[in-house]
Amino acid sequence: MNDLVEVRAGVYHDSVSLMRVSQALAALPGVSVAIVAMATELNVGLARDAGFAVPATTPGDLLVAIRASSDDAVREAAAELDRRLAAREAAGTARGEDRPPRTTRSAARAAARGAAGSGGATIALVSVPGECAFLEAADAVEAGLSVMIFSDNVPVEQEILLKDRAREKGVLVMGPDCGTAVIGGAGLGFANVLRPGPVGVVAASGTGAQQVTSLLDLAGVGVSHLLGVGGRDLSAEVGGRSAIQALRALDADPATELILLVSKPPAPEAADAVRDLGLGTKLVTALLGPGQDDLTAAVEKVLGALGREVPAWPSWPAPPGAPGTPGSECRGPLRGLYSGGTLCTEAAVIARSGEFTDFGDDAYTRGRAHPMIDPALRLEALDAVESGVVLLDVVLGHGADPDPSARLAPAVARACGRGVAVVVALVGTEGDPQGLHAQAARLNEAGAAVFTSNAAAARHARDLVAARVHS
Amino acid sequence: MSAIRTDPEGRAMNPTTLSMLSREPHVITAGTALLGEALDQQAVARTDVDWRPPVPGTAAALAAALADPRRERANATAVGRMVSARPRLVGVRPAREVLGLEPGTFLHAGPPISWERASGPMRGALIGAMLFEGLASSPEDAEERLAAGSGITLDSCHHHRTVGPMAGVVSPSMWMLEVADAEHGGAAYCSLNEGLGKVLRYGAYGPEVVERLRWMGDVLGPALQAALALSGPLDLRALIAQALQMGDELHNRNRAATSLMVRELAPAVVEAAPGHAAEVLRFINGNDHFFLNAGMAAAKVSADAARDVPGSSLVVAMARNGTDFGIQVSGLGDRWFTGPAEVPDGLYLGAYGPGDANPDIGDSTITETTGLGGFAMAAAPAIVRFVGGDVADAVAATTSMYEITLAEHPAYQIPGLGFRGTPVGIDVTLVARTGTLPVVNTGIAGRVAGTGQVGAGLVSPPMEAFTAALAALTDA
Amino acid sequence: MTVDTRPRARRSLPRPSAGVGGRTQIGGAASVALRPALESPRRPARVLAAFPLAVYLEVRSEYEPHVIALVSGEAARLPNAVVLAAPLDRLPLGDECWVGEGSIGVGRVGIRVRRWWDPAPPLGSAEPSRLARALTHLDDICDRSQRRPGLDIAGAPGLLASGCLAGSLVDGIVAAERLLGLGPGLTPSGDDMLCGLLVALRHLGLAAGAPRAVWLADWLAAAVTYDARARTTPISATLLHCAARGQAGSEVLGVLRAVAGHQPLDPAARRLLGLGHTSGADLAWGLRAGLAAVLALRSWHGSR
Repeated sequence: MNDLVEVRAGVYHDSVSLMRVSQALAALPGVSVAIVAMATELNVGLARDAGFAVPATTPGDLLVAIRASSDDAVREAAAELDRRLAAREAAGTARGEDRPPRTTRSAARAAARGAAGSGGATIALVSVPGECAFLEAADAVEAGLSVMIFSDNVPVEQEILLKDRAREKGVLVMGPDCGTAVIGGAGLGFANVLRPGPVGVVAASGTGAQQVTSLLDLAGVGVSHLLGVGGRDLSAEVGGRSAIQALRALDADPATELILLVSKPPAPEAADAVRDLGLGTKLVTALLGPGQDDLTAAVEKVLGALGREVPAWPSWPAPPGAPGTPGSECRGPLRGLYSGGTLCTEAAVIARSGEFTDFGDDAYTRGRAHPMIDPALRLEALDAVESGVVLLDVVLGHGADPDPSARLAPAVARACGRGVAVVVALVGTEGDPQGLHAQAARLNEAGAAVFTSNAAAARHARDLVAARVHS
Repeated sequence: MSAIRTDPEGRAMNPTTLSMLSREPHVITAGTALLGEALDQQAVARTDVDWRPPVPGTAAALAAALADPRRERANATAVGRMVSARPRLVGVRPAREVLGLEPGTFLHAGPPISWERASGPMRGALIGAMLFEGLASSPEDAEERLAAGSGITLDSCHHHRTVGPMAGVVSPSMWMLEVADAEHGGAAYCSLNEGLGKVLRYGAYGPEVVERLRWMGDVLGPALQAALALSGPLDLRALIAQALQMGDELHNRNRAATSLMVRELAPAVVEAAPGHAAEVLRFINGNDHFFLNAGMAAAKVSADAARDVPGSSLVVAMARNGTDFGIQVSGLGDRWFTGPAEVPDGLYLGAYGPGDANPDIGDSTITETTGLGGFAMAAAPAIVRFVGGDVADAVAATTSMYEITLAEHPAYQIPGLGFRGTPVGIDVTLVARTGTLPVVNTGIAGRVAGTGQVGAGLVSPPMEAFTAALAALTDA
Repeated sequence: MTVDTRPRARRSLPRPSAGVGGRTQIGGAASVALRPALESPRRPARVLAAFPLAVYLEVRSEYEPHVIALVSGEAARLPNAVVLAAPLDRLPLGDECWVGEGSIGVGRVGIRVRRWWDPAPPLGSAEPSRLARALTHLDDICDRSQRRPGLDIAGAPGLLASGCLAGSLVDGIVAAERLLGLGPGLTPSGDDMLCGLLVALRHLGLAAGAPRAVWLADWLAAAVTYDARARTTPISATLLHCAARGQAGSEVLGVLRAVAGHQPLDPAARRLLGLGHTSGADLAWGLRAGLAAVLALRSWHGSR
């Protein structure tokens, strides 16, 4: 006879269920006695009377006592016991409790009840339709969480209200219409895979932020955090509410040695408010516009301030024979076909001429996905260009098209075939899911000149047009 | 990078720091699945919101309600008062004494209603009360007088700190349980439970009904009053907390609570009314729902403690009169927001079926209002057949109520959910945002006056009551 | 009971996607300490040990860390870890492994890094007075805990602590030599103690402005890592190499941050003490010894 006696601490099942389990085990071949019961005085007594050596227990323990003709039969019974108890646990909780939360408020509570010591959620990412974004964001702020509002079409009064509440609670509202953030390496929304490092970024521009952080990564310099604030934050109405908070937070962050502020030109009052903060950390600004540094120049300034070398920004000249290369000139105007608003503005400022379209603008995204996800409109526009120079951006990273060149490269090849010179600003890092070099190689093989610096791409496109004018 | 000031425990005191910058990220995602999946690829801990649009047409009102600067604190105050109430049963006295009811005045369940709009069971109960008070010589006479309305006043129980199950009719001679809130000082009242079968609250008005009411006034009420005077107040908060752990949800199952109550009161009943003790205790023991009325008064006094907090979107009453389902909201005073009462979906007794059922009726939804009843289904596995059949459905019912409530009750806990507090404090904004209506457990009354109970089951309140209250909040 | 203890069970887990040739591709979050190994050409590796929540790979390389921990989200996050986007038990892991060219292959599973995290984030500056209070507090928590270090602290650990307090490199190295590889298990107690000491000396030395402590960390680190691979288990040797650079697991970093005043100390210390059999208590002992030395060495003027 083989006995198995086991006491499992803190496992509770009701007596009826355990009796059923005992019955089932006793019916197994070779099993002569099976007692599965809570270790009450009565049950322990029964087991001892049956000749089992039961150790000291408390009534909160589960007592298992099995006697069978062979070791194998005992093992079989023990395995069956575990299966049955596991099945009970699954039936008892699975459907009822595992319902996902329905609001940010209840998600915050669920996260807070989670694994001990995890401390709950740190941030909410809201991308519901604009008319409902305020509700979810308000929940987050109320729960003491920072929130990134990816949604657009959120009224400015709601933005101001949220940002004022957030400041009271010591949390940050990023957005609305905030496309990019990187918190401790984690990319939210459209963001690139960056290495950790000393540069903190505050950005009122999503693609602008992606350009500067990607260039920093290419230069081997990491980013501590990239805090987006939303395109409207530095307007006169919002007054830089979140930018101020973000700058102060990075100023207090031990991992941040230098802060880079990226924005379209701010309203004067917002600019003053930001300037008067008296930060202890060095601040470099990239405020796009005529007479201002372009994004690449701002990154180079950052590298200089950190005592790092400015690398040659990777680029891939158009293959010999492609339009725009010596001996294969192109005729016609410059067309900018952009998915990123800030990149579009930067390129237009540098090119000084040509017709630029931002396909990420509300006018083109109503009822359809952002061109970084759905390139259809932009591809149509590219196919419609018959001559001249086309300048376009391709943004890699989390959230973006998993393989943009798959559809773009053939369109580039067709354009080149029509004699159109194609210049691509490719924003991304080698760590991005799409792979910077792989994407560059495909676009380049299709005939495009590819630059990792949008400013460099814009200058190249301008020079192509100018060279033709001079000749 | 500059120094951060901290307090001795090491918490950052510098208001400019953001805790998210120094912690491992854990993101709540609401909206586009793509963005959530990108986080999964980065092995970022994530809690996903199963987000769906709010009830159609409520987006603007919701935004306005959540923008109200008073709301967050008002709701915390209101629900804090609701869950901190300490209801105690302090006495049993006639309605004319404790409520000052005049002859010809009748209170009823739910929002105010006229005789013309009253349903069968409501009319039957009013007829019975007329007979009991000696204001009519026959049922026909009573009906005529009630229809004529002269010398008759109908009013909602809720307007008099009172609740009543099913028809909830209260007349001056009925004896009332008196519950006092030891925390906030309020008081609330509920009639004595008559038992099962042909009873006034289901609209029966035959001689045996009136006879029983007289006995309750002559014997039961005075005996209980004398017993309470001997034993001192009965702590209902503690009793409800225990009953929840013994398998009651305190609306459709009151077996444990009734037993506990008897255990508390029996010695004093024997001492105070030796001549009637046996019949009194036998009567209480014969009715598993005897505690319901005391529980309802406890719920009422707790809900009333949360009333009238300006800016609060907390529901402080849900009640049905057999025709309308009405709610009241803390920040909106005594206004009722109503919609049609629906026929409950449930299990029927004997040969009865849905065709025999009256639309939803009674003030017993005050239990759900304070986090009991349907909200505590997970505590009552014995009656899971009402909610779909197995324990998982009961757990699902309770779990879904956390989505529309402001708090978890500190004293009322559910063993099966790891002693998590019951979901308590319905917020009209959360109802509109999630489209999730309160789960209400209820008895089903027969459509024809005098039929009595025909079944029990679940009922959904009308969404329009909640959206109307939401709209009113934005004007308040 | 809680939703969060099994966050992944709730989702249908489409993430490990079957790629070309029947390979499963998943993402992960890697310590930047692994960047050199991942960015170099592909090298073969082998599975050193496999547990429910962690799989250890040993890479045939002179780089450190040469052992890589593949962990699920719930596991302790070591400084040489890649946190996987899917639970280990759902992956068809195999024995044939390689590391390099931006990814890790384990059997038919390919792991691409989608996030980098810093196992040695700067602490900023910290007031010595608050560090002193934190030491008292930490001592108190450890003394009250049931968790005890795996070695008698009167022996080599005591010599190490007193040597560091006095700023004596000789005593420190003698004691460290004795502690290296001392004790049973994957990470012997002696190694864990040294790891705790090294990161505390470096980070808190920088934070409190105690250059002698940082100097001591440099030299002790050099001594300890010189022949670590020969003296202790591969996993422990790699963790010593990490600690030599100030890289530590999230539980250790949590206590360092708390000591510097960035978060509450009690929960952070309890999480650390809960690690492994004695690892948490050993690491905590090292941190306390390091912190005490930093405070003592602030005013060290090279008098000897």
